[in-house]
Amino acid sequence: MRRGFHLLARFKSVRGAIVFSFGIIAVLSLVIFLLFSLNYTEQTVISNSRDYTLQLVEQVNGDIDSYITYMENIAQMVIGNKDLTDYLFGKEGYREAGERLQSQFETVMDSRSDILNLAAFADNGRYILNRGEDPVNPYANMEEMEWYQTTMAAGGNQVITPSHVQNIVDKTYSWVVTLSKALRNPETGELEGVFFVDLNYSSINTLCEDIELGNKGYLFIVDRNGKIIYHPKQQLLYSGVKNEEIDQVLATGTGSFLTEGENKQLYSIFKSAKTGWSVVGVSSVAEFMKNRTEIQLTYMLIAAGIIVFSMLLALWLSGEITKPVKDLEKSMKEVQKGNFRPVNASMEGNNEIASLGRSFGIMTEKIGQLMDENVREQRAKRKSELKALQAQINPHFLYNTLDSIIWMAESGKNQEVVKMTSALSKLLRQSIGNEDEIVTIRKEMEYTSNYLAIQKMRYRDQLEYIIDVDEEILDQEIVKLVIQPLVENAIYHGIKYVEGKGMLIILGSMRGGKVVLSIQDNGPGMDQETLKHILEKKEAPAGKAKKSGHVGVYNVHNRIQLYYGKEYGLSYESAPGMGTCVYITIPATEKGGGADEKQP
Amino acid sequence: MKSSRRYVAFAVTLAAVITVFIAAAIQWEHYQGRKLRIVYVPKVEDSANDFWISLLEGARMAAEEYDVDLTVLAPASEDDYEGQIRCVEEAIGMNPDAILLSPSSMTEITDAANDVVSAEIKLVLIDSELDENLQSALVSTDNYEAGRKMGDYAKSHLPEDPVIGIVAHVEGSSTAIEREAGFREGLGEYEDCIVETVFCDSDYDKAYRLTKEMIEQHPEINMLAGLNEYSAVGAARAVRDLGLSDTIRMIGFDSSQEEVQLLEAGVFDAIVIQKPFNMGYLGVERTVEILHGELEPTIVDSGSKLITKDNMYVEENQKLLFPFAE
Repeated sequence: MRRGFHLLARFKSVRGAIVFSFGIIAVLSLVIFLLFSLNYTEQTVISNSRDYTLQLVEQVNGDIDSYITYMENIAQMVIGNKDLTDYLFGKEGYREAGERLQSQFETVMDSRSDILNLAAFADNGRYILNRGEDPVNPYANMEEMEWYQTTMAAGGNQVITPSHVQNIVDKTYSWVVTLSKALRNPETGELEGVFFVDLNYSSINTLCEDIELGNKGYLFIVDRNGKIIYHPKQQLLYSGVKNEEIDQVLATGTGSFLTEGENKQLYSIFKSAKTGWSVVGVSSVAEFMKNRTEIQLTYMLIAAGIIVFSMLLALWLSGEITKPVKDLEKSMKEVQKGNFRPVNASMEGNNEIASLGRSFGIMTEKIGQLMDENVREQRAKRKSELKALQAQINPHFLYNTLDSIIWMAESGKNQEVVKMTSALSKLLRQSIGNEDEIVTIRKEMEYTSNYLAIQKMRYRDQLEYIIDVDEEILDQEIVKLVIQPLVENAIYHGIKYVEGKGMLIILGSMRGGKVVLSIQDNGPGMDQETLKHILEKKEAPAGKAKKSGHVGVYNVHNRIQLYYGKEYGLSYESAPGMGTCVYITIPATEKGGGADEKQP
Repeated sequence: MKSSRRYVAFAVTLAAVITVFIAAAIQWEHYQGRKLRIVYVPKVEDSANDFWISLLEGARMAAEEYDVDLTVLAPASEDDYEGQIRCVEEAIGMNPDAILLSPSSMTEITDAANDVVSAEIKLVLIDSELDENLQSALVSTDNYEAGRKMGDYAKSHLPEDPVIGIVAHVEGSSTAIEREAGFREGLGEYEDCIVETVFCDSDYDKAYRLTKEMIEQHPEINMLAGLNEYSAVGAARAVRDLGLSDTIRMIGFDSSQEEVQLLEAGVFDAIVIQKPFNMGYLGVERTVEILHGELEPTIVDSGSKLITKDNMYVEENQKLLFPFAE
């Protein structure tokens, strides 16, 4: 399982993996199919040829047997004729017997042209040869011929001598197969003569030559001793140029075998019970496999066609299979970008990918709804937070201010009382009066000025402040209640701890298309650790909130970011003993007027 | 879409590779399956001439076995070298893979043989040589060895006071020279007993006449050797007609029906025969091997055998002496 995963994981796409797998499967199955079918073809062809050749050699053997039978019949007929012994060994009337015998011989010779010689020789010099016209070869010495010797050695039994040259007729040297029998003189009981029939060897020769076993195939005959009766390459065998598998032929009997080596040959043998001769058909396996190469080629062409077709099919199918996946992938990318709308949830079909797509569609829809809900909630939250902030002109401040007013009134400082009360009145008015979330910087600065005026009177010489905001940004818009809380924060955490004069500088200008306001104090500053965490949200423990001032800072920062985006907000610069400077960065409003468009 | 184009390219490449492979296979098959074409120009194709019939039979058998297209172009007679030159030129015109040639003259056919070689056709000589070494292979009887067999036999069957005459065929011909040299080698120290060598120009009557003349000049001759069929038979006829069969021992060369009869009749004591069937067979076989690049240029001895009256009917000699089962 893991391996499979790794194998397919190598591919950059599922489609590649599918096409590759398809290819592998197609090629493998085709190779296996080819091997099987080629092997099957080979076996079939060999087995067919074996059957065919066996039939052929059996038929040839039958023909040869019938020749021998025919010769046997002649022999029986002649030997059974009393005239034969009467002529050869008789003392009286042998001439008459000879004449009758001669006419019988003539009849036989007339009936069959393939009987070359028909003869009987007696030791006493009497003989009968064919039609009585052929002269006997004066130099022929019958006693030295092999066929004669074996015949005499066989007693009265018939002997078949396979192919040899018969030299008994003068000036004629014919290849014959001889059937011979020793003749017994009835008077002496001794073997004193010989009878023989010569079958023209070319009958057998032609029989064998006519057999077609392909261009390289041939037929041969051996007797039971392995002596060659017929072989087309007899001379080559005698010279040792060629060899023949005689031993294996004799060992096989009737049947067949295949030779080993480069030129495989199929030997099909039929052994005659009558003659003991084995007719052997030899055919070249390569030759009857010639068709096989054609079949091989055809198979290979078909295989190639199938591979190409299956690759194209794989391409098409893989495209079809992976198309929904691709669509899904596209949708997911859109979702990744934050676009929840383009999801094509209308996937067709019932398969896993379609249901995956549908699930994904439903999921993104839900997420979209949740996101919308979240945005609404956030907006509501911001409003309520703003309200809470507006309500944050806290009782302490109010009490302190009123206390100061009382104190100033008691001291008869009427002008100051008027000034402070008026500032407080404006402050309260601004804080209550405006329901809008967005105000101009001008208004925000007025509010801050009123607040600072009150604080300045309370702290007297301990607080000095400078406000230097560029005229051009005064009509820019800003989220309400941003500057005052930061100023308040600077006074309570900075100026308050200054021995001598505390200085607060509020600057405002356009920088690089953005509005940047800064509030700088010369308080004790912060160490790096505090600075690091100043903008982080912190669950302020009850009662400690105002003291730490973190809640206020985080609240301001968060509101700016929620309204304008992550690239805007607060940033602090501070070091212990060096004071603190907080920067407010907000986007510039275009042409000042279209503030409402920004509203989400 | 870009990747799908890559797959198409992959499929097309695969198809192309397979096509090339199959094309190569077919080409190879075609190359393997092409029949070799060989033309053989013998000295003669004459149904009465056992030697050439047997040789052609061997050549045809090898051609069939090796699946070679064999054409035979034969001149009218054995000494018709002009006819043979025409045959060779005709063979060149057929543009075969190889031409087999049995030159009827050592010198006259050389130009034609040169044409064969310059036409970039392989030349294989059968039976006889040329005065130039042009051939890729020579398949013939080792004539020196055949001659030595005659000499060996003569030496071991020498009459008392041996006087030996040689009837050769063509003066200056390679076969005559080698056979005589082999014969002399076989005789060893009895070489000096050779009184005369005559040349009959492969003519029975001339051999007959020259033999008679030689016996008249050297009546003490008691051994004769004939170096080819014409020489041997012509000489044997003379000896038989002079009634000297019993006094003169004869050794012949080659075989024919008449020569076999003369051997059976005891005029010849022995004959040395060539193996023309093997020569023809080996000639084609070696040519095929040379064309397949399997063999270096060679000389192939097709063999010879000495046969006497006693062993002429032994199984394997019958096939050599009586090649045809008509």
